[in-house]
Amino acid sequence: MKKLIRLNVNGDDHELAVSPDETLLGVLRGPLDLIGPKRGCDSGGCGCCTVQVDGKAVYSCMMYAVSAQGRDIITIEGIGRDGELDPLQQAFIDAGAVQCGYCTSGIIMVAKELLNTLDNPDEDEIRHAIAGNLCRCTGYQKIVDAIKLAAAAS
Amino acid sequence: MTQSIIGKSVPRPDAFDKVTGGKGYPVNIKLPGMLHGKILRSPYPHAKILNVDTRAAEQLPGVKAVLVPADCPKRKYTTVYFVPTDALSMVQDMLVMSDTVRYAGQPVAAVAATSVAIAEAALELIDVEYEELPCVFDPEQAMAPGAPQLHEHAQNNIAVNPEMEFGDLDAGFAEADHIFEGVYTTQRVHTCYMEPRVCVVDAEANGNMTVHSSMQHLFGLRQKLAYVLEIPESRVRVIKPPYIGGGFGGKLDIGYIEPIAALLSRQANRPVRIEQTRYEDFITTARHPIKVYLKTGVKKDGTFTARYAKSILDTGAHATHGAEVINVHGMFGFFLTYRCANRKWEGYSVYTNNMVGGGFRGYGSPQACFAVESQIDEICDELELDPVEFRRKNAHHQGDPHPFLQGMKLDSYAFDECLVRGAEQIGFAGRGRPNADDGHKKRGVGLACQPLWVSGCLGFPDIYEHSGAIIKLNPDGTADLNTAVMDLGSGQITTLCQIAAEGLGLPMEAVRITETADTTTVPFDAPSHASRVTYASGTVVLAAARVVRQRLLEVAGVMLEVSAEDLEVSAGTISVKGSPDTTLTVAEVVQRAESPYIQVGDEGPAPTTVEEKGTIIGLASSAPAGNPSPAAVGFVAVEVDTETGHVQVERVVYAHDLGKVINPNAAEGQVEGGVQQGIGYALMEDLQFEENSGACLTADFLDYKILTAVEMPRKIESIFIESDEPTGPFGAKSLSEPCITVPAPAIANAIYNAIGVRIRELPITPEKILAALGKL
Repeated sequence: MKKLIRLNVNGDDHELAVSPDETLLGVLRGPLDLIGPKRGCDSGGCGCCTVQVDGKAVYSCMMYAVSAQGRDIITIEGIGRDGELDPLQQAFIDAGAVQCGYCTSGIIMVAKELLNTLDNPDEDEIRHAIAGNLCRCTGYQKIVDAIKLAAAAS
Repeated sequence: MTQSIIGKSVPRPDAFDKVTGGKGYPVNIKLPGMLHGKILRSPYPHAKILNVDTRAAEQLPGVKAVLVPADCPKRKYTTVYFVPTDALSMVQDMLVMSDTVRYAGQPVAAVAATSVAIAEAALELIDVEYEELPCVFDPEQAMAPGAPQLHEHAQNNIAVNPEMEFGDLDAGFAEADHIFEGVYTTQRVHTCYMEPRVCVVDAEANGNMTVHSSMQHLFGLRQKLAYVLEIPESRVRVIKPPYIGGGFGGKLDIGYIEPIAALLSRQANRPVRIEQTRYEDFITTARHPIKVYLKTGVKKDGTFTARYAKSILDTGAHATHGAEVINVHGMFGFFLTYRCANRKWEGYSVYTNNMVGGGFRGYGSPQACFAVESQIDEICDELELDPVEFRRKNAHHQGDPHPFLQGMKLDSYAFDECLVRGAEQIGFAGRGRPNADDGHKKRGVGLACQPLWVSGCLGFPDIYEHSGAIIKLNPDGTADLNTAVMDLGSGQITTLCQIAAEGLGLPMEAVRITETADTTTVPFDAPSHASRVTYASGTVVLAAARVVRQRLLEVAGVMLEVSAEDLEVSAGTISVKGSPDTTLTVAEVVQRAESPYIQVGDEGPAPTTVEEKGTIIGLASSAPAGNPSPAAVGFVAVEVDTETGHVQVERVVYAHDLGKVINPNAAEGQVEGGVQQGIGYALMEDLQFEENSGACLTADFLDYKILTAVEMPRKIESIFIESDEPTGPFGAKSLSEPCITVPAPAIANAIYNAIGVRIRELPITPEKILAALGKL
């Protein structure tokens, strides 16, 4: 039995009929047609699907869409302003932190929470913050560099 | 020509799109009317399918097609993209769906429905009747008399059994002062590309088929799919995605999903999408476990007199890559690595009821390197020889004959420099003896080498090697590069654009890769594999750029009334040699070439010349001139906790001769990622299966562990040595694979240096360390 819910994603309200077992990821990638959050494992193991819910980084594959009602959901498509990239997005480009890029959206969303919490995180704080997100291309080195770069820029 | 772009860390052209969401992944493809396919997989590792009853599934509303083994083509094939489908060097033993199950997870039926949920519900309604058969999971047991036989064509389950011999092995051992023997085993690991394998196939009623897929080779997929379905290749159009979410060799073969989606699409007359779950990905491809029996004869001074190895590879239910990995393993992992007058290697690729292995960066080399480089350190320890000097003494050197390609030399081969500079940077000479540290945490330093690797596969039987590229100039002075090369994430888009820009005399930002390519519009290119793209595809891109540049200068010559030979082009500006004030922009020249013959100006119609007309476009397609070998040496420093068995890799120094660095940032990124995979192989990664049922126990990232940012060493130190390969584009060779190969043996050697314990079985888990220390 589907349930009618209202979701606020990147500042826009959406009214949707969803099954109770539909995940937030499924709704974002499905009816809302957002491609930023990626399905990597569907079991809370890789972090490619990470979005922000009320300012906290969340695996969207592990949250039911119905639980996201009335909350402020931000995906990678919703960061940056007036056509300008978010400093983290720019830093990922400048540091060469993007290879295949499949993990990038999720890691930027986690890093965004980190930089909202700490002005100048040290290397260990950065590494622990992104430890729930897997990357198979970069060895994380340039991702850590990018987050440091964004922290210094902001 | 001044080199302005080569060697610069220019940003990736694809990075902007990826940090803003990533439109280009195949996983995003949606087509009108698209259905969703799901595959029913066998719970048994070895069984005969007696009956498949799909009646209830067909009745479920929303189900549009159902596929069972009886509906599938019967022509056997090999899945591997980089060889012809019927290549004699490979084994044709695959079917889309067979009525014999040979591993747990093999597809036995499939459904296409209007939603994933309906397709999954329909699978539950399919009733399969199996007759279970006896199983064998261990390759040596599978080779023994009386073992269950998996394939009629393979006596004792041996799929292929290659051998190589040089000199007189017995004489070599007779000549030796010391003989060392050891058995080294490696485990099954997964590439862990982050984007799942996914495809959308649209089989139209007119017989044409359009295919989107997350794969490493456009033309391989076209050829394999056409062969399997027994239709002409031109009927299959494979669309090139702008990029994919990782591959690492794990998307180097046609999967079950593409032919199954094609057959379902045919039935339903609608496009069908299949996206694998992570569990399905884990049982789709893996690096093969190989057990290596290694016997080596040496003189007192450490000179090799005889080298012998026997390698037993578990290829699983089908041969596929296992028929080729075994050869690369033997050849580039063992036989050619060091000089030795007397060598013999025999390899066995053996069928078992395990999952089918696949391609994975290194392609057989990591398994061999672990054995060879571990044993070298055992020899050095026993004979009290310097491990750096031992390797240098036995290695090939610059200028030596190429040990693989007859008549060629190692024109650029800075192996010695890799050893010396790496050793110096990590302070190898100052390393201590085992257990030198007080307390329960012990430090050690180790090294391992990949002395001779490949830039492509020239000289291997049946392997495609040629590349192609088309470059076209635009009236705004930019260039479009059209190629079939797939960017897996390792930066092929960037490096090829750099090579093209440099060859054309344009700034980097003026060159872009065409995003809309497909198998009908681009020339053939061999897969993005075997560390080959920068060298082989780069060579062809440069050749195409030179064709374009020549035509550009011819048109400019007509415009300036000088000979093309008197012109040069740099950073988008054409000038007359020696008269730097006489210039044209590339844009002006292209506009002239693309302009009408008679142009109307203020003074009325005026003809231009016919000679300058026509799109400035260039094509090149060729196989590379050689197989120049990079060389690499890795050094690691570890800390071993003798109370917990935990190993922390603290430093990695990686020295690699890649001829010429095209993009330093991208090159470092390759190494850093490869080292992550190499440390995972050494210490933790292990695809595990339940002993009797063959069921996968590590089917998600909670159970299959790869290194996170926390476990990684804080810095990977890359040393790039530029030996300037004469046949490479701007001197470049290759980079990708040795950085994944050397960490495991280097770590094993460093652990020995720390605690005096030798582990010959990967992964080196805390349990194995504690057991070896007598603490378990």
